Formats: sequence, structure tokens, C-alpha cells
Amino acid sequence: MKRIFQIVFILIAFVACDEGFEELNENPNAATSLEPGPKLTATILRVSGDRYENWRANLIYSSTMIQHIATTAGYWAGDKYTYNAQYSGAWFERTYNDQVKGIEDLRSQLSAEGNSYPKEMLSIVRILRVHIYSKVSDIYGDVPYSEAGKGFTDGIFRPKYDPQSEIYADMLNELEEATVALGSGPSQFGSADIIFGGDQAKWKKWGNSLMLRLALRMIKVDPAAAQEWATKAIAGGVMTSNEDIAYVVHTEGPDGINRNGNGQAFSADNNPRLSETFVNFLQNDPRLTVYGSLPDVEANANIDRFAPENQRGLPNGLDGASLPTVTGEDDLSSFTEPNRNYMTSESAPMFFQTYAEVEFMLAESAVRWGLAGGDAQAHYNAGVTAAMKYLELYSPQATISDGAVSAYLAENPFNATNALEQINTQYWAATFLNDVESWANWRRTGFPQLTSVNYPGNVTNGTIPRRLRYFEREQTSNAANYQEVIGRQGQDVLTTRMWWDVQ
Amino acid sequence: MVLTFGQKLWAQTQTVTGTITDAENRMPLPGVTVLEKNSSNGTTTDFDGNYSINVEDGAILVFSYVGFSTVELSVGSQNTIDVEMNASSESLDEVIVTALGIGRERKSLGYAVTQLNSESVSEVKTTNAINSLQGKVAGVNITPASTGAGGTSRVIIRGASSLTGNNNPLYVVDGVTIDNSQLGEAGPYGGSDFGDGISSINPDDIASVSVLKGGAAAALYGSRASNGVIIITTKGGKNQQGLGVEYATQLTFDEVNTGVFDFQNQYGQGSLGLAPVSVNDALDNPFSSWGPRLGSIASSIQFDGVERPYVDTGDNLDKFYRTGTTLIHTLAVTKGGGDLNYRFSATDLNNEDVVPNSELNRKSFSLNVNSIAAEKLTVDISARYIVEKVNNRPRVSDAPGNANYSAALFPANVDIRTASPGIAEDGTEQLISSNTFTQNPYWAANRFNTFDRKNRILSSATLNYKFFDWLDLTARAGIDHSAIRTTIIEPYGTAYIPLGSITEREVNITQVDADVILGINKKINEKFAVDAFFGANKNTQRNDNLTLIGSRFVIPFLEILSNVENSSQSRTLNELAISSLYGSVELSYDDLLFLSVTGRNDWFSTLSGLDQSSENSEFYPSVSGSFVFSQLLEDQSSWISLGRLRAGYSEVAGGAQTPYQLTLPYQIFGQGHLGNPLGQVATSSVPNPNLTPFSKEEVEIGLDLSLFSNRLGIDLAYYKNSTKRDIVPVDISNTSGYSNTLLNLGQLDNKGIEMLVTGTPIRNENFRWNLSYNLSYNESEVVATDESGNNISIGDVRTFDANSSQVVGQPFGVIFGTAYLRNPAGDIVYDASGFPLVDPERKVLGEGVSPWTMGLNNTFSYKGFNLSFLIDAKFGGQVYSGTNRVAYGAGLHKETLNGRENGLTVTGVTNVTEENPNGEPFTYTHDDTTLQTYYGSNSGVGRIAEEFIGDSDFIKFRQLSLGYTVPASVLERTFISSIDLSIVGRNLFFIHKDADNIDPEGGFNAGNAQGLEYFGLPPVRSYGLSFNVKF
Repeated sequence: MKRIFQIVFILIAFVACDEGFEELNENPNAATSLEPGPKLTATILRVSGDRYENWRANLIYSSTMIQHIATTAGYWAGDKYTYNAQYSGAWFERTYNDQVKGIEDLRSQLSAEGNSYPKEMLSIVRILRVHIYSKVSDIYGDVPYSEAGKGFTDGIFRPKYDPQSEIYADMLNELEEATVALGSGPSQFGSADIIFGGDQAKWKKWGNSLMLRLALRMIKVDPAAAQEWATKAIAGGVMTSNEDIAYVVHTEGPDGINRNGNGQAFSADNNPRLSETFVNFLQNDPRLTVYGSLPDVEANANIDRFAPENQRGLPNGLDGASLPTVTGEDDLSSFTEPNRNYMTSESAPMFFQTYAEVEFMLAESAVRWGLAGGDAQAHYNAGVTAAMKYLELYSPQATISDGAVSAYLAENPFNATNALEQINTQYWAATFLNDVESWANWRRTGFPQLTSVNYPGNVTNGTIPRRLRYFEREQTSNAANYQEVIGRQGQDVLTTRMWWDVQ
Repeated sequence: MVLTFGQKLWAQTQTVTGTITDAENRMPLPGVTVLEKNSSNGTTTDFDGNYSINVEDGAILVFSYVGFSTVELSVGSQNTIDVEMNASSESLDEVIVTALGIGRERKSLGYAVTQLNSESVSEVKTTNAINSLQGKVAGVNITPASTGAGGTSRVIIRGASSLTGNNNPLYVVDGVTIDNSQLGEAGPYGGSDFGDGISSINPDDIASVSVLKGGAAAALYGSRASNGVIIITTKGGKNQQGLGVEYATQLTFDEVNTGVFDFQNQYGQGSLGLAPVSVNDALDNPFSSWGPRLGSIASSIQFDGVERPYVDTGDNLDKFYRTGTTLIHTLAVTKGGGDLNYRFSATDLNNEDVVPNSELNRKSFSLNVNSIAAEKLTVDISARYIVEKVNNRPRVSDAPGNANYSAALFPANVDIRTASPGIAEDGTEQLISSNTFTQNPYWAANRFNTFDRKNRILSSATLNYKFFDWLDLTARAGIDHSAIRTTIIEPYGTAYIPLGSITEREVNITQVDADVILGINKKINEKFAVDAFFGANKNTQRNDNLTLIGSRFVIPFLEILSNVENSSQSRTLNELAISSLYGSVELSYDDLLFLSVTGRNDWFSTLSGLDQSSENSEFYPSVSGSFVFSQLLEDQSSWISLGRLRAGYSEVAGGAQTPYQLTLPYQIFGQGHLGNPLGQVATSSVPNPNLTPFSKEEVEIGLDLSLFSNRLGIDLAYYKNSTKRDIVPVDISNTSGYSNTLLNLGQLDNKGIEMLVTGTPIRNENFRWNLSYNLSYNESEVVATDESGNNISIGDVRTFDANSSQVVGQPFGVIFGTAYLRNPAGDIVYDASGFPLVDPERKVLGEGVSPWTMGLNNTFSYKGFNLSFLIDAKFGGQVYSGTNRVAYGAGLHKETLNGRENGLTVTGVTNVTEENPNGEPFTYTHDDTTLQTYYGSNSGVGRIAEEFIGDSDFIKFRQLSLGYTVPASVLERTFISSIDLSIVGRNLFFIHKDADNIDPEGGFNAGNAQGLEYFGLPPVRSYGLSFNVKF
């Protein structure tokens, strides 16, 4: 019998049940943990975005709705206020798939209990996170925020949509806490921080500049809060020069993630032209031939494609059939396209927020509340100057001379009686290719005054859209929350106004 | 119960020979099982009823045969034991190999097991041995894909268990589980079938195949047994006296069954009734038989610029496909009779497929050794080495690279051979079409190359030590290792990919399986006995895949990996392990009642993580019993020879076979950005750490009857099973950061009946007629898919008009696709131009899996002649034929003849509105300007999947063998001991089939999405000769 017990013992020892199973189940095909640095670099590139979402949301919809760009191509849905589910949902889709996934993973790593990473790293991630959510919320309104990106960490597969008012409140708090926790000198991210090279002070300025943007965004719905947060932002210290601009340097490749998403779209798409509205505004503006030039086609072989007088904008809302009747042209060769020497490059920088935008916001704050020293004119001048000088970041050849800037300011001086329109029209001119921002600022201020088009088959009754529709897959993959949000925010259509965009 | 892990020889052995005859007519009985009691040592009688077996001193021999009562005889000192067997009441005490290789008497089993002998598998040999089981086992549904000789067959036992997971059974060879990985298959966009693990097993080495159908039979295999188990025992040397040499060969000719394709040959190439007027016109309409009536014009220009007569040029399939051959040689040497018995065999299988240039060679070497190593200790070693080389596996499904697509669609007036050899003067593809994705079939066959080489070692070793009569210990370990190298070339000069591409892949698959088992077998008193065992198992699986992909060859026609512009590489290593403890206790009472209880606990590495708090183990019980009620019958000579009832209940589990699901993987971008490394979460599927194996519960009851002195046997089974917590992919909101995850939300139920009727209608001195009929019906129901009951698509067909879907309330894998829009009265709704409208909602159009399967086997023996044939059939399913859909558009389907001369009138309704849901009556006549569009796929009937759904019912004349055994008297003075010669045939013809132009079985892969057809190989029939000689 003793022997039998021995055998039974051997049997159990033989399997040793699950000894060593944890090690065996460690994935050998991929890294299973990563330092925050490489994650931050990749996430920043995802925030800058790929061709997919920049083409669809930033260019096809936003740039045409805001009349920076016009085109006759039917699929450029924003030019004609038609609905294309895939284009409308693209930014939503990619924000959560790429940007939110990356930033929430970083945030959970850096806020994990007992982690030894310095606080400033978390602050940097929090600021970038606000940038991500503010952009998606400004496009769609109420979006998943508090429960978003937690599929793995918390097992939340169908996040609820948070009211935009609550998202804004939380984002502002996030910015306040994050900027306060930032010191000076380099952060531990070092060069992995491809926006500011690890400079904490610049992150702090960007954090406050974003706070100012969000503050002003609330101007229609909650002016008191807008003033309160603008005051805080300015006190905290916003961008003070073009050295502070939040932007990403791209390269020609080798892969999509390295390239500028807008640039990739322009490489693939010859249809966009500068809008007539935009070209008309840019008359006698040194930016005109930096932003645009005539296309390099045979018809223009004997024309100076870069001469200001040869530039012509294309009216919005046309198609191939109406082009000749409206413009007298059979094709698009005589219309200005985005300058393929500078603006459309795949290695062009991608701007998240510029110093010029900040100066225009300071000018507005001065006009409204006497903030920022109260000298709106000085801020206006600084904004216009910055908006022209920063273009050299596209290319040294795109540099606008100081003389040209002064001449422009002399011809277009600050006009206190029409300050808000003037400031925000300049804001519009300075946010070419950051069209999601340009569109949001137009919805907030109503400036520049744009004439809408009324193309047959448009879904907005001939008005410029106030938002884009959610990614369609949400209707099935997140049905209950989708129904809940349209019940709260209103129909999921292009004309529904979001919380801060009250009439 | 008898443990059969090793031969329990611990004494001297002796050889016993003899002849078994039928007591009634003195006819020899072939195929009688001769078994040494309490061992796995056994043999069967040859055609003349002769047997030879080595047994230990004092052994008891058990002679069993269906329909006859079992005879047990002590060997004593005799060397010759002749037995006359009586048809009698104890007909069902055949010994069956059950789970873990344990041999048990059939009557004690509380569940259904079917066992086939070597004859069934090797009578007519096929390149994929599993196809030999087709139509032979009730409850087993085998469907070979139409992908060529090296292709895969789908094997499903008692319906599928999992909505989206693997549904193939577990295969066990000589006691150890083997790998059955599918090595690549075609999808909607085409590809080749690279076969699976079971397809390379050599039919000549198989001694028996046991199919454990139900959960109660399979529960001892735990988590891997949810789909049933097929146990293969290979031939050994124990039944040989002295040295024996056997040579067997089979040569078959394989040809396309061209009669299946029945396309029109009255109208030729062209469009809108006009023949091509230019080369470009011919290239634009390569597969458009919408020209004028053949013979109505003298000639037309063709794709190569040559003007040829506008007449039917004959069957293009016949011209394109060649007559394939399959030649199999097996040489086996066996030695038995001492302490060391062995069998060594070498088989060479050479197949030239019907598609030109497609060929398969498989060499199998097999060695089985059984030895008495010491007193009470036996050792069994089985080693198998398989080298498989396959060149140019045919591409199927989508057109690119698929010769079958083009070959089927040539217009009747264009001789396909004019496209040969498919190579233009500059060496690139000779175009037959302006659509570059339409391949010249000769270019596809001659230049699209795949080469794969598989080296496989499959071996096991078993040690058995007998402590006492009633207690023994068995240790067994086995390894299955395959190294597979594959090259896939899209050639330079191919129209759709002018610079070509190459894929080089190396896959190493290793499975190690080891058991330790303690067996107890004790009679408590005269009537009660206990049979029990307890064991432990460890199974590890490893799959290591290295893939290199190159595209755009730099130097033309040099198709090697170093000659590419772009290259990429990937490596995937998957490892997992399962540890188990198991046990079984069987109580028996006086051959009247049997009760068996089993249990197994599995621990999974896939559910084990460093931070894992949830369970990583599962327990599976089963209970089954058998009640031999005929024991209670007073009159033993009544018409019931044997009758028993059986019942079983079991729980098994499956899934959780994917490692590394507990942590997030990160992807590194090698190029970095501005000198900084890049890394991000690499998956869009949330790894679900809470995943558990799904569980499958099954109950079954059965009735075995043996009637009229065993001239008639009936075996009935009813089962009902339910897979709960099935692992399904669920779409989740992108706002979670991910787009899907795996959740335990599915439920799939099956219930069905199985019937086996065996009979011997005629049995006399010279003539014997045996027949066997099996029938099964399986009804499946998808009970749950995800929390909101969404459909799960499990596979598409290239037209994308239909897919295979799991729909709640429907059977497994229904065909779900576009349908005619109809008004409430059922009339088709047309637009004003006479084109049918498509219902905006997709509909369930059919069942992808036939619920009814059956097989009828007849064997007639007259003196030395033996004729057997197998007819099998499936009923109740449907198939969506993409081939017919394309043939409509191409004007090749005979249906498209309607209306060519006098127009086609369609009637239905039009102008259906909310106010007038029935619409207005509508009639429209299509003339030859719109007819082609009407039959086409953009706005016509082609886009409506409903039109191309047909019943997949068929009755096939599956297998034929007419054999002659040279009488022993002739060979008496020679060194030859036996000669068998036979004429064999497989898949000879359809007795009945509903679907036009296609083999209703012929899917383009063997995956879960069945009932979808799109340009596989046409059906192939084989016939030839088989020869077997023993020395």
C-alpha cells in the first residue's frame, strides 16, 4: 500500500498543476510593458493624426465649411453641407482608437499607485489629454470622456457620453492642476516630448493657453465662467512668443505615422482650391502667396503661378456642372490651390495651438474684460505679426519680412469699434489648415461673417453645419448610450448645436 | 475494463493460429476480432477466416464478431485453435477502444462509440485519410473542401460546439493527442488550402479508428474534447508470427467530372447580341457569352487578335484539366512472436492533381515496436516520420491566380487552349482580359507557384508496469512536431501585380503530451466488479511562425526573396500548456448493469497571469450507464438476441486556447521619429482577462438491439447538448479605445438522432451479403450571440451578397444575404425598367450545414470475390453558388438562354408605396438590349443572393471496390501467403443532386462558414487498381 501512495504522490507531482504557467503566458511577440517615453512620442504623432482623419474631418469637412478651401469634387461633403457617414465619423473613430487609447494608457501608467515617475510627466500627459478631448468635443458635442479609453484597464466596453458642460468643467480643472504641478527645466520625458523637447515651462504655457481657449469657448453659454477661467489662464502665464507654439515636426516618412496627415491628404488629392472667401480676404496680405499658388499644370505654363495678382479663389458649393456657369471656367487650373511648395508638404509641421491665436484671444479678453493689460491693440498687432512670422516654420522660403508685416498692419490697423470681428477674422486667417479650430472659433464668435451655400441635396437647409455626426458604428456598438445622448443633446444631425454653441 | 496502454506480457509467449468459421454454414468468417483478454493485443481474421496471434502462456483469447456470440478460450499449450462461432444473444460485446486508449466491451458503454477497422480506411485509399470515414459513421459530418488533393476536410461530430471557434474533433494517435492546425486556407479574396494535421496521416498504417461522439465518451479528455474525439490506433507487429512482408499499391486516375458543369453552348462571346469586333472588344468581354447564336456568323476576333470560326469548340474544362494520378506504394515488414515485436512500413504517395502543375508527394515511415523489457514491464514505441512536399496548391475562390475561375468561364466559341501557355513574348502574362484581375488560366497554373515542405515526427512511448493482477501503472509520452516551409509566389509579369511578390514562411508546430495512469481492476465478489483508474496529463503546444514578405521584384523573373524592393517580416510564437488530473470508476453487476463515473480537472496556462486572481482551472464530470435488459429475458432463444439501454450525462469545455490574452501587447515602430523610439498598444481587441472556457453539457440515451440471431442489428441514439458561455467576438464601442473583445456570451444547442442498422440478408455457403445503413439528424440552434442578439458573421463569399452568419433562433451558420423585395402578397417588386429591387433587409436564405447525413454500405462476397460499394447522402441544407451568380452575368448559365430570341417577360408589381404596399401589377419584357443587364449583377438579378440559393442535397456513389483474393490453394507451394487484387473507385457519380453546375459539398475552405461556394476545383472522380501481396 505504501507503494500506491508513492505513486499517487508522483501523479500529482507530475502535473504540479499550474507551476510555471504565469511565465509561459507572458507574451513573447510584443513588449508587454513600455517606458512612458516611446508611448508619449507615438501618442503625440497620433494626436497630430494620420491622413484618414485629417483628410476627412479637417479638410473635407472643416476647411470647406469655414471657407478656407473650396472644391467642385462631390465627395468634399463640407463644401456642400452634405452628409457622408464615414467622413463625418472619422475624427471620432480615430480619436478614440488611437489618441485616447494611447493617452489613457499613459495616464494609467503614470498615475498608478506607487509609480516612481516624477509628477511633471503626468502633468504633461494631462495637458495633452485635454487637447485631445477638447478637440473631439468641439466637433461632436457630448462625447465619452469620464469612461472613455478604459476598455482594458476598467473593462468599460460601452462608455457613457458625458455632457459637454461637465467635460469642459473637468478639462479646466485638469489644466489648472496640471499647470500648477509643472515646474521649470527639462522633464524626464526629454526628447521623447517632440512638442517641447521636455521643457516644462513651455508645457505650462501651453496648458494655460489651452485654458484660455476653453474659457473663451464658453463665452455664449456662461460668460462669467469664461471670464473667470480666462483670468486664471492669463495669470498662470500663456504663450509669449512663436518659440512657445505647440506643434509637431513631421518627416517625409518612412511610414504614415511619421508624416503630416494633411500633407498626405494633399499628396493624394488635387481637388482642393483656396476658397474665394479666403482669397478675397487675403488681398494685399503677404500670406496670400504663402498659403496659395496656381497649380502646376500645362495651362499655367506661361503664368507666374506665385504672383498675387494671378491668384483666384474658387466659390464654395460648386460642382463640375455649375463651375462654368458661375465662374466662366471649364476646369480648375486657374484657381489657387494650397501652396504645394510649403503648405501641403508631408513633412510640414502640424500646429496644435499657435502664439498668434493666443494673442488674438488676449486681445479679445482685453476688449471684453480689460484683461491682459487691457491693451487690445497691442495684442492684435502682436497676433498679426506672430501669424505672419510663424509661417517660416513651414519653410524658410515662406518667411514674411518684417517690412511686409508692418505694411500690412499699417493698412489694417486695429479698429476698436469693430474689434471682435476684426480679431476673430484674423484668428480665422491664422488657423488655415487647423480648420477644426477655425470652425470652432467661428461657431463661437460668428466671425468671419460667411455666406453659406445651398447646394442641392444638402442636409442643413443651406446653413453651415454646427457639428459633425457621431461615428455611425456607435449606433450599434454603443446603442444605449447613443440613444441617451441624442435624447439629451438633440438629434444626431449636422445642425444640432452643442452646449457652448447656444443661439 | 481493460487497460491497453501496453501489452501486459510478463511471461513466455507463444503463437496461436487458427481458422474461425460460422457454425451454421462452416463458411470462414473474415474480420473477426481476436483479442488477448486484459490486453490490447489483438488481431482480426483475414478473408479466409485465418488468424495468428502471439500470446503469453495461460492467456485467454476472446473471439468477437458483430452478430455472433463472443467466445473465450484458454490457450493452454495449444498452438492451433479453430473456432466455430454461433450467432447468438451476446452480439454486442465487441471490444472498443475508448478514451485514453482503454479497451472496453461495447455492452458496458453508456454512450455511442463507432469503431472502424483498417479495411474501412484503406480499402480505397485517399490522399486525406479522414475522407475514408465519409458516410460511414452516424453523427459524423465530413465535408472535403474543393481545394485539391492536398486540401482540408471539415469534420464535425454531432453538430458544431462553438459559434466562432474551432469545431474540429480532437485527434489522438496511439494514445497521444496530435496537432491539427490548419496551415492556411482560402478566404473570399482567394488563396490556397495548405491542409491540416490529420490530412497527412497514412491510411496504410491505421489499424482502427474509434469515434467518440458524445461528451460522456470524451469527457476524460477534458477541455480539448468538446468537439468529440477520433482515436487512431496504428498497426503493430504483435499479430505476426515470425517475419512477414507486405506490399500494397494503388493506382487511381483522377479526372474532372465535367458532366457537373452544364453551361450553355448555343451562344458565343460578345455583348448585347454582338460578337467582338476588335481585339479590345474581345478583351473587354472575355467571359461574356452574350454574343449571337453560334454559327449565325462565320467568325469573330478573339483576345489574341486571331479571327476564328464562331462555333462551339467543345468542353473547355476537359481541355484545361488533365487526368491526374494517385500512386501509392506501401512496403511493410512485421516481425512478431518473441519479446520484441515490430512493424516497419514505408509509404510513398504521389499525386498529380487535375490542375496542371499541381502535385503532392508524401513519404511516410512508421515503426511500431512492442517489447517485454523485463518481467511485468512492457514498452511500446511508435514513431512516424512524414515528409510531405506539395507544389502549386491550386488557388481557389476569387479570380486572381485562380485557374478554376477562368477555366469555367470561357465562352463556348473560344478554345481555352488558345490561351496556353499564358506567357506573352516578353515573358509576362498573356492577357485574356482588359480586367487585370482576371487571370489567364495557364498563367495561373504555370506561373503562380507555391512550394511547401512538411517534415513531421509523430511518436510516442508507453511503459506499463504491472504490480499485481489488479494494479498497474502506465506512463506515456508523445511528441508531434512539424516543420513547415512554405513559399508563395505571385509571379513577375502578372497583370494585376506587375512586379510580383513572394512570401516565405517557416512554421514549427510542436505538441507534447504525457500521461501517468494508475489502473485498478478488481472483482469484489461473483457479481460485482470495479474498474478504475486515476491519471495525470500534461499537454504543451507551441506554434512558432516566421514570415518574410517581399514585393516588387527588381530583376525581372528572378523570384527570390533577396530580389525585392520592399520587404517586411513578422514572427509569432504561441505557447500554451494544460495540466490535468483525472479519474474514472466503473462498477459492474453481473453483465447486467454498468455504471461509470469520470472526472477531470484542467489547469490552463492561458488563464494564468501574474496578477490573475480568477480561476485558471475547470472540472468536468460525466456519468453514464448501461442496462442489458436482455439478460432478464426468460426465453434466451427469443427473437431478441441482445437488448440494452444506455444513458449518459457529461460536461466538457473548450476554448481558452489563445495565449497572452491577459496583458496588453505593445507595438514598436522600428523607424522611430526624429531619433525617438515609438511604441503603442498593438491591439484593437481588448484582452479579456476574465475569459473562461465555454462549457458544453450533453445528455444522451441509446438503445442497442440485436435481432433474429444477429441477422439484424439496430443501434439508436438520441442526444441533446448545449454549449454555454461560448467565447464570441463582440463589437464594442470605439470610445473604449478598442473595437472588439472576446466575451463568454454565446450559446449553441444541438439535438439529434443517430441510427445504425446492420444486417446480413443473405448468408450461405458461397455467398454473403452484408449491409450497413447509418442515418443521422442534427438540429442546431443559435440561442445567444451577444448581449443584444446581434448576428455574428463567420465568413464571406467574394460577391458579398451573402455570408455565413450566426443568427439567434436559427441553426448554426445560416446563409444570410440579399433577397428580392416582395410585396406582402409575395410578388417581386420591379422598378420601371423591369429590374428587380433588392430588399433592404438581408434575409436568412438557407442552412449552410445539412442536418441529414446518411450512408449505405453493401458488401457481397462470393467465394474469392468481394464487391462493396458505399452510397452516401446529405439532405436539408442549402448552398449559395457564387459560380452560378457569375455564370449568370457571363451568360453561361442555361437559365440565361431564356429570352435571348424573343425577349424575357417578367411579371410582378411596381410602385410600391406606404399607401399602396401591394403596388401595381407589372409586366415588362426585356429584349436583347437589356437582357444582359437583367441577368447581370449591378442592377439585375445577379446581386440578389436568393436567386443563387439551391438545396445542397446530394446522393453520391462514393466508393466502389471489386476485389478478388487468390485462393490459398494456388499459393500453397509458393513463398507468397496472399494476393488481393481489386478495382477501386471514389466519387464516381452523383445519383442525385439539386444545385446546378457545382458540387454542393464544394466550399472553398473547411472553416465554419459552410454553404458558400465560389470557384473551387470542379468535382473529381477517381478509379483505378489496388494490389496487395503478403509474403
